[in-house]
Amino acid sequence: MSDGAPTPRRLHPATLIARWLRLVPQMVGGGAAFAATMGGWGRFLSFAAMAGGIGLVITLLWWWRFRYTLAEREIIIESGVLNRQRRVIPFDRVQDIAIERRVIARLFGTARVKVETGGASSDEGLLDMIGLAEAQALRDRIRRGHSPTPVAGMAAEEPLLFRMDLSRILAAGLFNFSLLFLAAIFAVVQNLEQLGFVRVRDWINPRTADTAAGFFNLRNSLALLAALVVLGLVYGVVRTVSREFGFKLTRTGGGDAAAGAPPPPPGFRRRRGLFTLSDVVIPIRRTQVGLIESGPIARQLGWFALAFQTLGAETKEGGVQAVAPFARMDEILPILTEAGFPVPPERSTFTRIPRRALWRWAAPFFLVGATATAAAFLIAPGAGVAGGLLLAAGFYAAFRWRKHGFALDDRALFVRAGLLKRRMWIIPFEKAQTISVTQGPVQRRLRLASLLLDTAGASSMRSPEIVDLDAAEAEALAAKLLSLFHRSRSEAKPSQ
Amino acid sequence: MQIDDEAHGPAMLPLHPNQLWVLRVRGLITAVPILLAAVMADLGPLRETPVPPGAVGGGILVALLASLIVLPPRRYRAWAYREEADELHIRSGLLVRSSTVVPFGRVQHIDVTHGPVERRFGLATLVLHTAGTRGASVPLPGLLQAEAEAMRDRIRAKIRQDLV
Repeated sequence: MSDGAPTPRRLHPATLIARWLRLVPQMVGGGAAFAATMGGWGRFLSFAAMAGGIGLVITLLWWWRFRYTLAEREIIIESGVLNRQRRVIPFDRVQDIAIERRVIARLFGTARVKVETGGASSDEGLLDMIGLAEAQALRDRIRRGHSPTPVAGMAAEEPLLFRMDLSRILAAGLFNFSLLFLAAIFAVVQNLEQLGFVRVRDWINPRTADTAAGFFNLRNSLALLAALVVLGLVYGVVRTVSREFGFKLTRTGGGDAAAGAPPPPPGFRRRRGLFTLSDVVIPIRRTQVGLIESGPIARQLGWFALAFQTLGAETKEGGVQAVAPFARMDEILPILTEAGFPVPPERSTFTRIPRRALWRWAAPFFLVGATATAAAFLIAPGAGVAGGLLLAAGFYAAFRWRKHGFALDDRALFVRAGLLKRRMWIIPFEKAQTISVTQGPVQRRLRLASLLLDTAGASSMRSPEIVDLDAAEAEALAAKLLSLFHRSRSEAKPSQ
Repeated sequence: MQIDDEAHGPAMLPLHPNQLWVLRVRGLITAVPILLAAVMADLGPLRETPVPPGAVGGGILVALLASLIVLPPRRYRAWAYREEADELHIRSGLLVRSSTVVPFGRVQHIDVTHGPVERRFGLATLVLHTAGTRGASVPLPGLLQAEAEAMRDRIRAKIRQDLV
């Protein structure tokens, strides 16, 4: 690393191979069925060779025109073959940095670096493949903010906060039951059908439908159901193991500034993965909200999950970074403390929402359900099933109503929600972006209102909104949260 | 002008009276295509049906006129705002009412926009952008253009540099 004018660099040459391997099948894929039906394998091979050649040129051009530069306080990424794009990312805007190593990258000893800034586009700071050592140096440099000289002792042992051994990961996998593999099976069948190997139409053909219906007798149906459950469990375990293998959460950075250069700010470092290794650093001051989740069965056995919402977190994970996916409560609480988050208070101290909120939560289900059941007796027996389901939904909603509530301590707002999957949000006052109280027409009639303490990077689907508070209480709480917000901000100012 | 019948907290300011005209003109702009479609339906396909001619177009005309008279003042009155030392309070919404507080320290950037209708009436909309999700951009319409710009400059002076 030269300390003079920063020199632009290119990605690792292995990127060429990886890109090419990714690009060519896409180009061939569309033409494959066409070529196979038209002129046999000879034409297909010549077509593939042509695609391979064009792919090589495209990849080479892209690689040649992609350059990144490490400047004093920012990273500059230039890309684009014809339309040049120059992107400048200041180090102090970086929310979190992920180093990810897929199988191909591991073969070449390289890594993918992803710099999240909280901007709108997902791949704004993506360096596809660079040398592993360079990736780590790059991360150190970005985390430190400026100092270009790597400090010795940076790689010293980091205190371990949480880890999962294989038996725990296997146990976690059992709770990740998923039928997503069905989608994969359908995709495969569809592809086979396109290539002419299978004909799905025959299966639902009226002439052969009788044999199909004959297949679904009680014994076969039960066997099929059992097979689905087993496959779902296996799929869950496999997916969990491949993602969480070797899960390790350590604390990084911080410490004393004695050794000349200031240390990088404190953060969490999470390493995991079996095939794709991922290594993410989340600076502690970038964590916005703590989220403790638990599923219905895992909770009975004392297992919970802890995640932090960050502005830059990948949206596919729901805007949160898991830091302890399957842990005991007494493992989770120290991590919260380490991040400077208060520990949730006793369940009994939570304020529940008023009883009249049930008019909105459960009454509609009961009303429609009761009507449908009555209709079933009079006219259509089929409506009985729908009515029963609606009544069940009403009971479910009523129990969910019981579990919804909030609590305050001197540092944070706690919101809990959900009946089967329970969630507890911990929102430090100083992380608030806006505070809003909303009231729809039905809520107005019932003198209810909802309050939302909006935070950076919050999920729009599962927001910690307190739904159906007493309207006057919501107003008072909003005012109180605002004053607590200002107080915590003025306390935080001198220390930073 | 009376703003808040429930009178909770300090009084809030109404939008500029011209905003009422902006809302009326906007209502008119949305009403005209609907009316046209109804008249076309009246002259065309509905000829073949027993629906009396002019009933659909006339009915919709009456409904649109009524909503043009009734809705704009109510929507106008639903809005109110109060600028404090450290935050902006905004109340809005006719059907779903909401009141939002935006602390100035959280503002990422500020827009002052004026559409063609607003410009005709000398008004502008101030939009505060935060890093939040649902409250990511908070608009405040119906400000005099000069006032919107003055407000933007006041708020800009208070934005702190520490992001998030």
